Amino acid sequence: MKIKIKKIGFVAALTLFGVALLSTRYYMVDLPVWHFFGGGEGPDPLTLQLHGEFVESNLGAAEGPAGSLTVRMIAQQFVFVPQCIMVPAGVPITFRITSADVVHRLRFLGTNYGLEAVPGVVTEANFTFAKAGEFKIPCNEFCGAGHYAMRGQMHVVPRDQFASLLPGERRTCELR
Amino acid sequence: MSYASQVSRLPIAARWIGTLVALFMITVPWSGTDSSAQPENSEPPLRVPSNVAWTKETLTIISSGDAFQGLLLARRCNHCHGEEGFSSVPAFPNLAGEDRLSFWKQMQDFRSGKRASPVMQGIAEGFSARAAADLAAYYAMLPTASDPQDNRAFPQPMQDSSRASMAIRLIVFGDGQRGIPPCQSCHGPVSYVKGAPPLATQNGAYLERQLENFSDGNRTNDINVRMRSIARQLTVEEKTAVSEYYGAGYGPGATSR
Repeated sequence: MKIKIKKIGFVAALTLFGVALLSTRYYMVDLPVWHFFGGGEGPDPLTLQLHGEFVESNLGAAEGPAGSLTVRMIAQQFVFVPQCIMVPAGVPITFRITSADVVHRLRFLGTNYGLEAVPGVVTEANFTFAKAGEFKIPCNEFCGAGHYAMRGQMHVVPRDQFASLLPGERRTCELR
Repeated sequence: MSYASQVSRLPIAARWIGTLVALFMITVPWSGTDSSAQPENSEPPLRVPSNVAWTKETLTIISSGDAFQGLLLARRCNHCHGEEGFSSVPAFPNLAGEDRLSFWKQMQDFRSGKRASPVMQGIAEGFSARAAADLAAYYAMLPTASDPQDNRAFPQPMQDSSRASMAIRLIVFGDGQRGIPPCQSCHGPVSYVKGAPPLATQNGAYLERQLENFSDGNRTNDINVRMRSIARQLTVEEKTAVSEYYGAGYGPGATSR
């Protein structure tokens, strides 16, 4: 009798797990499990430009608390915004990246770093760039017809040449 | 069945429920640590490029546009944009075959002043969101092929053939080294992106001025700085070449008109 109840419980748990898996479509999505339990806290990819941290005036390198440096970027078909970012060498930099449409992947050429930009999710990572120089950031995940020409730029400048940011300043190296 | 076995059944069931609850509880600590919590920074003044976002509600409004209502409303547009949607003045855009979404977005941006235009702002204020959707439906329906009475010859010859090759390169391949995607990957016919109008039958002079405005920062209503970051990379000659090529009717996707 005990064994039968255990079996029923096992089958019930398995069914519940299966139903949960199918209903969340987790098997189709390249997202961490807790994203679904978080309840859509990430930014809405369709309204990035209206409010939140990815409005266009907030993109680029920004001074965080205690002098840390945060770089915010949007990946979208088929440009990275900002198109060119400027960071100091030898300093840990926090990247916060999201996508406005489909999944993109940033490949920081000249380093071992890569980052995935997923719509509705903020990808955060801490990188330190040892070498100064100009690096390309091509998109490393097929994102559409213009994928091969989707390429950002990164200027890593020596630490002493990177002037400290003013409060509220967002630094990029875009052509103006 | 003894009384004892009756009792022992409950704890087993309870244990299973307990296990499930415990498994669920394990996920709770993670649920709060989605990385969207924003670190505190001194905020720059908020700048919103356009009040339009491609949400489901926006698409519903646009798709509910009635082309016949648009036909009646379009009498106010005919004087500048042409009876058939082809304007006689090169500085004004052609509207025949215009993409519904981009038409509607530009009308809203003219109304809200997000796209600065002394002429169009006053006119767009006279059209509600619904009326703009009607107009969008009408202009999307107009054929891009010419009427037989149109005596302009298309495609027109381009004077400078080196410019033509420069334009083809940018339209078809873009420039990967500078991060310029090909025009046709968003503006068609290869693929389309929401809010990107088809350019194959657009006026060259109009296109050139818009590219200049994007790169100068005089026009800033593109969502997520997309067109601005591309136009900034283009040289003056490249802007001229691309717009001349499209304006002459050679653009990919153009039907002879």
